[in-house]
Amino acid sequence: MNTIAENIAIFLKEYAPFNYLSHDELVEVSNSIGVIMLEKNKTLFKIEDKLHESFYVVASGVIHLSFIADAEETMLNKCYAGDVFGLRPFFAKNNYMMTAKAREDSIVYAIPIKIFKPFVSQNPNVLDFLLESFASNTRNSFDKEKRGNLITDTIYSDQTSGEIQYFQSLSYNKTPLKIASKAVVKDVAQLMTDNLSNSVIVIEENFPIGIVTDTDFRSKIANGRFPLISTVDKIMSSPVVTVSENVSVAEAQLMLLKHSVSHLCVTVDGSDKSDVKGVISEHDLVVAQSNNPGVLVREIKRALTPKELKQVREKLTDLIQSSIAKNIPLAHIYNISGEIISAINKRAIELAILDLGSPPARFAWLSIGSQGRKEQLLLTDQDSILIFEDVAADKYRDVKDYFIKLSKRVTTILEKVGFLYCPNGHMASNMTWCKSLTDWVKQYNNWMKTPGEITDEMSSIFFDYEIVFGENKIEDALTEVIFNNVKNNNLFFDYLGNDTLRKNPPLNFFKKFNLEEEGENKGKFDIKTKAIMPLIDGARLLILSMQIKGVNNTYLRFKQLAMADPKYSEIYLSCAEAFQVLSKYRTLEGLKNDSTGQFINIDELTKIDREKIKAALVPMKELEELIKDRFQLTQFS
Amino acid sequence: MFDWIKSKNYPEFWKNYVAEFENKSNRYVILNTETTGLNPKKDVILSFGAIGITEDVIRVNDTLELVILQYKYLHDNGLSNDFLMESKLPKFAEPLAIEEFIKYIGSATLVGHRIHFDIEMINEVLEKMECGKLKNEALDIEIMHQKLYDITNKSFSLEELKNAYKIPQSERNFALDEAYSIALLFLKLKSKLGFK
Repeated sequence: MNTIAENIAIFLKEYAPFNYLSHDELVEVSNSIGVIMLEKNKTLFKIEDKLHESFYVVASGVIHLSFIADAEETMLNKCYAGDVFGLRPFFAKNNYMMTAKAREDSIVYAIPIKIFKPFVSQNPNVLDFLLESFASNTRNSFDKEKRGNLITDTIYSDQTSGEIQYFQSLSYNKTPLKIASKAVVKDVAQLMTDNLSNSVIVIEENFPIGIVTDTDFRSKIANGRFPLISTVDKIMSSPVVTVSENVSVAEAQLMLLKHSVSHLCVTVDGSDKSDVKGVISEHDLVVAQSNNPGVLVREIKRALTPKELKQVREKLTDLIQSSIAKNIPLAHIYNISGEIISAINKRAIELAILDLGSPPARFAWLSIGSQGRKEQLLLTDQDSILIFEDVAADKYRDVKDYFIKLSKRVTTILEKVGFLYCPNGHMASNMTWCKSLTDWVKQYNNWMKTPGEITDEMSSIFFDYEIVFGENKIEDALTEVIFNNVKNNNLFFDYLGNDTLRKNPPLNFFKKFNLEEEGENKGKFDIKTKAIMPLIDGARLLILSMQIKGVNNTYLRFKQLAMADPKYSEIYLSCAEAFQVLSKYRTLEGLKNDSTGQFINIDELTKIDREKIKAALVPMKELEELIKDRFQLTQFS
Repeated sequence: MFDWIKSKNYPEFWKNYVAEFENKSNRYVILNTETTGLNPKKDVILSFGAIGITEDVIRVNDTLELVILQYKYLHDNGLSNDFLMESKLPKFAEPLAIEEFIKYIGSATLVGHRIHFDIEMINEVLEKMECGKLKNEALDIEIMHQKLYDITNKSFSLEELKNAYKIPQSERNFALDEAYSIALLFLKLKSKLGFK
């Protein structure tokens, strides 16, 4: 008898797939286990490492699984006590495709594959669990009722941003050329040329019996095997590969590869005994892959009314939702949705200009706040400013009138699309935020040189901006002004720093969430103000103080800070991570209730989710200390 | 030279043990002994718990756990021997237990909490059995901890160390459980001190 093995067996019994085994079997397994102690940040295995002879179970601590995409480390999953990972050696022979690293001091059990394999083959439940665990692409942390989490062990084979394409159904030619089997080849060729098409479906009573493509003309006509006057059924490829409507990109791709053909015929029920609905060519797939979610952007560019833009915005919501469910890293989703929202804004301005006639001066329309940071996933409010170039004094009035009219139109369009008006009036349609470059320079100088003194409240959102439309030079000029003012400007950082630290702490003394005490959101947790804003503000403050230009979103800002200021890189990286986690919960809440996701109902969360949120609040404290220290914020605070 | 002559009289297991030191071992044996007290001359060993570590992995199949029958000692000192009777672990008479133990450790480096006391206790028994002293290298986790923090004037109990390094506590208190905790402590200390 071995008491250690007994203890391990008792531990394992609590978790899948070990709960399918008897106690004696578990003791047998436990007897062969190796116990590994991993210090924080130690790597157990990394991408391209040779497979180990064991798979692993977390005994205590947290292990992060990640992989590298676009030269950036992307988290796949976190494993807590009882989670199984490193299953690759069971199913595959090639090297590890992910990195396993201890997030905190952890103990893992290494179970030799050789010992465990017999139990797998004898016990279908165990096999199912491991297979599912290995192959599952879905995130399971939202499925907490299940005991023993599945930890996904496979990764998206191509870049994750490309993964999004697979959720969309394919757009293809829905009016294919159709022709009877007795048509003459020469006529068919002319028909295809006239229609700029490289394929034609041969039908009999509206059912597809074959397909003729450019290839058939090359290999059967041009080389003289068949005369030009043959009937088309002589040269068609038959039978034609058929698929049903609403085929996904992934499936279509699979069919093309499987049958090594260049075209698929879409029919009503997917068989060749039903009506033809369209044809998918390789080209459609290329378009879908290279341009997706470019398809949305293209739709935006073609939209003529706010209603059409609204439809695209709704599609984007679906895209975000499915992307989150598919566990695509939030940074990627932010990027894509940022581009799409940007395109919507741009189109709104174009539509307004089409209406009003061309502008009398050059100008720049900047998104500020969350869209300026490209961190907008939900239908939040719109924040924008407009800067026009300096004009002669006598023209000033007319020019300003035009731009205010333009802005009013744009904001109205955006409101129709679903972006609420900013409650604080931070919009270009507001006279105060639509002015000439000189006025804006004055404005920023005032804000930064004498912060807090001028009656105009300075909002930090004016320091997150991104050009949507117009002259890049104007944006550059603004950036120049800001960074000139940053130099040796203690007063400004004092103000900004105190502003950052002023927020109420998210947790009270007893480590419970500080909930709203009154109002319509009583009893909910304000994740935006109490948890996400401090991180955003902190990142902005630090990036400004280090004079790093051109990094506009919080996640990348922290990543950049970690590089620029390696001494505290750990704090920055954990802030980047925490920001993603918190934003994700906010987004989920927002998607669930079609709201801005600002207030989270803590009671609805599972205990594990609550703990995850609490854990994500920890780096914030460290960041606050760092800010206090760096800017010596003691005199006011 | 004299050693060689003398060694002729050693028991067979001891000769084998000595022979093992010709090859350097990369194995560590984490050792925890339970004794009746702290005086090597008077007190006796009640049980051994030991577990092996190779390549920084604790090997669950490489364990030794045995109880020594010390009826006479317990009887003479008026101590209860219920614990010995109840234990389901393999029980050995003292010389046999030591022999098992020596065979198990081989030339591994011994690791424990205040390991030198354990070694002294074992050497006492070995002397009675007309063998030499233990030849193994030994590492003490208390000293490792002191070294890590450069503390020389303070001692640390095993409990304190376990708390300091957040080692999970086992509920039952067998000699082997304790050895397991020490093993975890050792791996932590070893990586913090950065030695191979």
